[in-house]
Amino acid sequence: MAPKAAPNGSAEAPIQVSSIPPVVGINFGNSYASIAVFTKEGLAECIANEDGERQIACAIAFHGEEMYIGNQAKHQLIKNSKNTITGFRNLIGKKFSEIPQSTLNISAPVIQHPDLADEPAYKVEVLQPAPSPLPISHHTSNVNTPAASNINTPRSEPIPATRVLSVSEVTTIFLQSLLQSAEDFLGKKVQGAVITIPTWFDTTQRAALAKAASDAGIPVLQLLEEAGAAAGTTTTPDWSSDADLPQDRTQLIIDVGASSVNLTLLSLRSGLSYVLASSTTPNLGGDLIDDRIIKHFATEFTKKTKVPLTVCPATDAADKRAEAKLRLAIEHTKRTVSASPGAATCSVESLKDGVDFTGSINRLRFDMVARPVYQSIVDAVSALLSGAAVDPHDVNEIVYVGGTASLPGLDEHICLTGGFHEDISTPFARGTVVGGGEGDPTTILARGSAAQAALVSSLGGEDVKELKAAVIGEGDANLVRATTKTVGALFPSSAAEDKELGGVFVPLIQKETALPVRRIIELAVAVPASSKFAFELWEVVEGFRTEKVKPPKLSDDEGDDDDDEEEIEVKHRTLTKGTFLGSVVLDAKLAQKGTTTVQIQAIVDIDGDLEVDTREKGEGGATNTLKVAAP
Amino acid sequence: MADVQVLSIVAPALPEKYSPPKASGSRLSPPHPAGHRALLPVGPAYLDHLRLTIHHKHSFASFDEHVAAERKRQAELHADAANGEDDLGVGDEEETEELLSLDPKEWKKQDHYAVLGLSQFRYKATPEQIKIANRKKVLKHHPDKKASTTTPSASQYLAGVNQNTNDDAFFKCIAKAHEVLTNSEKRRQFDSVDPEFMEAEENIPSETDIKKKNLDFFKTFTPVFELYSRFSRTQPVPGLGKIDSTKEEVEGFYDFWYNFDSWRSFEWLDKEVNEGSDSRDDKRYTEKKNKSERARRKKEDTAKLRGLVDLSLSLDPRIKRIKQEEKAAREAKKKGTTPGAPAKKTKAQEEEEKKKAEADAKAKEAAEAAERAEAKKAKAAAANAAKKARRQARATEEGGA
Repeated sequence: MAPKAAPNGSAEAPIQVSSIPPVVGINFGNSYASIAVFTKEGLAECIANEDGERQIACAIAFHGEEMYIGNQAKHQLIKNSKNTITGFRNLIGKKFSEIPQSTLNISAPVIQHPDLADEPAYKVEVLQPAPSPLPISHHTSNVNTPAASNINTPRSEPIPATRVLSVSEVTTIFLQSLLQSAEDFLGKKVQGAVITIPTWFDTTQRAALAKAASDAGIPVLQLLEEAGAAAGTTTTPDWSSDADLPQDRTQLIIDVGASSVNLTLLSLRSGLSYVLASSTTPNLGGDLIDDRIIKHFATEFTKKTKVPLTVCPATDAADKRAEAKLRLAIEHTKRTVSASPGAATCSVESLKDGVDFTGSINRLRFDMVARPVYQSIVDAVSALLSGAAVDPHDVNEIVYVGGTASLPGLDEHICLTGGFHEDISTPFARGTVVGGGEGDPTTILARGSAAQAALVSSLGGEDVKELKAAVIGEGDANLVRATTKTVGALFPSSAAEDKELGGVFVPLIQKETALPVRRIIELAVAVPASSKFAFELWEVVEGFRTEKVKPPKLSDDEGDDDDDEEEIEVKHRTLTKGTFLGSVVLDAKLAQKGTTTVQIQAIVDIDGDLEVDTREKGEGGATNTLKVAAP
Repeated sequence: MADVQVLSIVAPALPEKYSPPKASGSRLSPPHPAGHRALLPVGPAYLDHLRLTIHHKHSFASFDEHVAAERKRQAELHADAANGEDDLGVGDEEETEELLSLDPKEWKKQDHYAVLGLSQFRYKATPEQIKIANRKKVLKHHPDKKASTTTPSASQYLAGVNQNTNDDAFFKCIAKAHEVLTNSEKRRQFDSVDPEFMEAEENIPSETDIKKKNLDFFKTFTPVFELYSRFSRTQPVPGLGKIDSTKEEVEGFYDFWYNFDSWRSFEWLDKEVNEGSDSRDDKRYTEKKNKSERARRKKEDTAKLRGLVDLSLSLDPRIKRIKQEEKAAREAKKKGTTPGAPAKKTKAQEEEEKKKAEADAKAKEAAEAAERAEAKKAKAAAANAAKKARRQARATEEGGA
């Protein structure tokens, strides 16, 4: 046959070395958890558990011999609330004596662990399988008895028993189920996980969570603060390129949980982020909105059916059960309101006294009902911003986290009444909330954690140890010095519109940037006949000027009641020259058609020394280096 | 280098009467002290910051070097991957119009290598190359793809012309070609009657051609033997060689080609047994005919090759040369002066040799004589024995009668 030519390769399809790290990001909230993994496209994506839920309720219920986890367990709250455990995340690592005994408890109460001192625990009633029958003894005489059957005696009925579970045990069970879901999805063992924690978790709580996770078999790479997880998603190039957001921006993260609102003001400087200010408002959030909606529906129910129903708080048992039923039902209503502008229905079978209920609510009505809660959130935002001395106009972007934050009414209310700039970027403005968009508030944290998990697990090489230590928060590598004022180049100009500063200002290094920092900008500079170009280096003070402007007349036929119209305050960003640092004057050598391209590299090193390197782009261009010593 | 932020603005030209302000000697505002701000440990930018602060002592220059080195290392690691899949030189052969209009029903007549785009390799194509070529062609000509890319023109559409009638014809041809070329037996049969080979075979110059046109021997015959060498079961095949090949080489060459062991066979040209008829006799008749036809063709092929080798031998200038050389050698031997023989021998030696030769000849003669005598004796004895036997036989016959 044909002579064998030496093949210059192989016809086998290249071995697909899967570049998808089997890592998982877990957003572990108090009410809901979500998990994200890396997909084939190399994107972090939130996945559904086996029940098809992307938001998995943090609840465990025991019923007979069965154990329910997640949204199934939540349904047990109606009939089997004393065996249903919820809200355990916030109790991790806390002592029993530290936990306030809440008056209103809809699930299994927290008790003192019978064996361990000062340890919170839950007591649930379960059915235990009966002990297996004794093995057949061969010593018994079989003289006058028929031959013994070799089949085991059938199991007898399970026996009721009580089971005491400590908070960490509950956490372990729950995390195990999350891990199982992720592994079922990936089809392989999870190699690493990043779990989110609230900012207020202290060291003991972090340690307790880490222990519970490792008991569940989760290889924890990092416990990441929720703000960090959100930044993990919002600093990705996809996120900012989508909306043409600047690399250096101030971002407000509004995390509306079920029972608390966490606000974080972040300074993002080309991927590096730190917290400028943060606040936690307890007893504000989704549950309050729930209460109001439940009340709304309860009133509607009473109006329709004449069956009296008092909820929030409910007193008698029938009302309590009705409230629990409504609470489950409006979950769906809220999602519908978030997703579509039409009316959302709420149906409950046999709400009270065997009477069914079907009601509907549209967005407008919903927002009206929930407005007081929205307003409290706005108040919290304003308090945070004023506490940090940041003008709302300085906030470039708002990011929402949490299922309640998916409500478009909340975004509308915040943008309208928060005093923000009208062009502020929010996921709603960009249209990335619904349809699995990247701005989906319910999945941001899990996706950010997954991305972080992939990043940490990809760390290799010689220098890993120190990096990993820094990542998990050991040492003080995270504590940085940061600039306080914006430094930029001022290109002198005699044009009228530049009169204020005497030129065009180009920021080089923004305030609140961690040191050491390097920024390189490239821009075209017009070159006059003298073929000289120059800029001055200034430290500037940013401020705002408010101007009262009469709104433009809408129509002329109104006549002379113009005076009634209110004047609108318009804010303008202002810059005032602060300190003059130096100037650069160069002869353009490569000017073409009256312009030349200039690259300016500014470095502020760890000691605060500023070095500005200017060069004309291209071979043989003019160069200059300007140094400003540290203060 | 770090990311360069390209601004879309054009900075204004310097005013005519510009003079820079006097250097004030002022400095930057003091930064926030260490510990005032805590970075969130998240994202690749954070890792870069850590590397910068922990490993490079906050020096951007050193960090840049590290990044460049790392990038280079990565590039080297993934160099193969970057070039994409190795297609073993299969390339993308364009199909001619003729090829695309092939009828899959006439698959026996198609050039399977051309269909798969392997005409540059033909019988030399490795199974891997065939696999790759097939994959490429299938991807290109899959009917699913065609249906979506070719939209019928409106008039055709209105006229009810079905555009897709012959759409998968070439795809079927590809499938057939792949089937033939991946089956070693079928491929052997096809290679035996490879259309390209047949064409080349036609063009082999005849004896009269060569003599008339006075063609160069090596230029004429080297490609001929190379053409046939594909059929040899033993590989590699010795080449025709050059004008100054040694005697051994030339002899080895002709030896090989006179004993050529060919795998060429002619099943491919078999007449199809008529599928429709159930008649066994019909089938057997066709099979028989095919068999004899195959044998005839094979014989013809062998004869043709032999004729070629004969022709080559008769025209080979080296044979003349070798004969001459041998003749010269013999003559030289006779004269005792073989060209290039060692220097003159001494007389004594010569005499000795002569004596020796004489003695040898004598001994040989004696031995031969003895042999002859013995043979005579044996012959006589055999004749006697035969006579005796005959006599005896007669006697017994007579006795019996």
